[in-house]
Amino acid sequence: MNNIKTIEDYCFGRMANGDALLFEANVLLNKKLAEDVTQQGITYEVIKKYSRKKIREEIMAVKNKLVAVPEHQGFMQRIINLFKKY
Amino acid sequence: MAESNNRFLTVEMREAFFMALYKKAFSPVAHYVARMGGSLDEAQDIFQDVLVIYYEKVTAAGALTIVNEKAYLLGIAKNLWLQHYKTVHKNLPLNEYDTEVTTDEQLASGKILLYLETAGKRCMELLKAFYYDHLPVCKLAAEFGYSGTHSATVAKYKCLEKVRDTVKQNSLNYADFIE
Repeated sequence: MNNIKTIEDYCFGRMANGDALLFEANVLLNKKLAEDVTQQGITYEVIKKYSRKKIREEIMAVKNKLVAVPEHQGFMQRIINLFKKY
Repeated sequence: MAESNNRFLTVEMREAFFMALYKKAFSPVAHYVARMGGSLDEAQDIFQDVLVIYYEKVTAAGALTIVNEKAYLLGIAKNLWLQHYKTVHKNLPLNEYDTEVTTDEQLASGKILLYLETAGKRCMELLKAFYYDHLPVCKLAAEFGYSGTHSATVAKYKCLEKVRDTVKQNSLNYADFIE
């Protein structure tokens, strides 16, 4: 799988010091490798953004359940009442 | 990987986790936001952000045990409220309102996420489970139907490569994805 695991080991600090130094030297000499490192870093950001979106959707579903399901409505009503006091 | 991440294996387990946190901590957070002059919608938005932050905290490798969950969540909420308050009440000159520009890059990153959510959904779920939920590979293999940890690891790297190729094809950069 090309260099994907090596780059991951470097990005996550799983490389021994000597190997990391050698890898950094390769990055300086190899433009394609340097691009792959950058793109892999962006890929981790894409995964994070996607994951946050998904977890937010799950949280939203829980909130909607609290609003819609009769057994939780007492709880939500108490919250709503808090905002009438102020 | 934290063994406690077994608590977050499925959507149902995460739902139970978030539901318990709502019951435990939404009331004090809402009370605080109301006292500070905020609305119910603002309290809900803040609390959702609190839950995302807390989820990331407890699923992180080497996560510490939080002794007083309610106080911890309220602390995060207070910080978020202060940030929100500063943003909302910043005195901006009128000509700075409604001038948010959507760049071509932002449109591209939105398109990529949409594409990955549909065409690459299984891959993205696998990557989320590994890199975000921090599930142990053995659990991940079972959950996604791989024969063992080696197959799951290979599949994970293949998915990572697929997403990296998509990033490359669309010439995306960090600024498109940093929140």
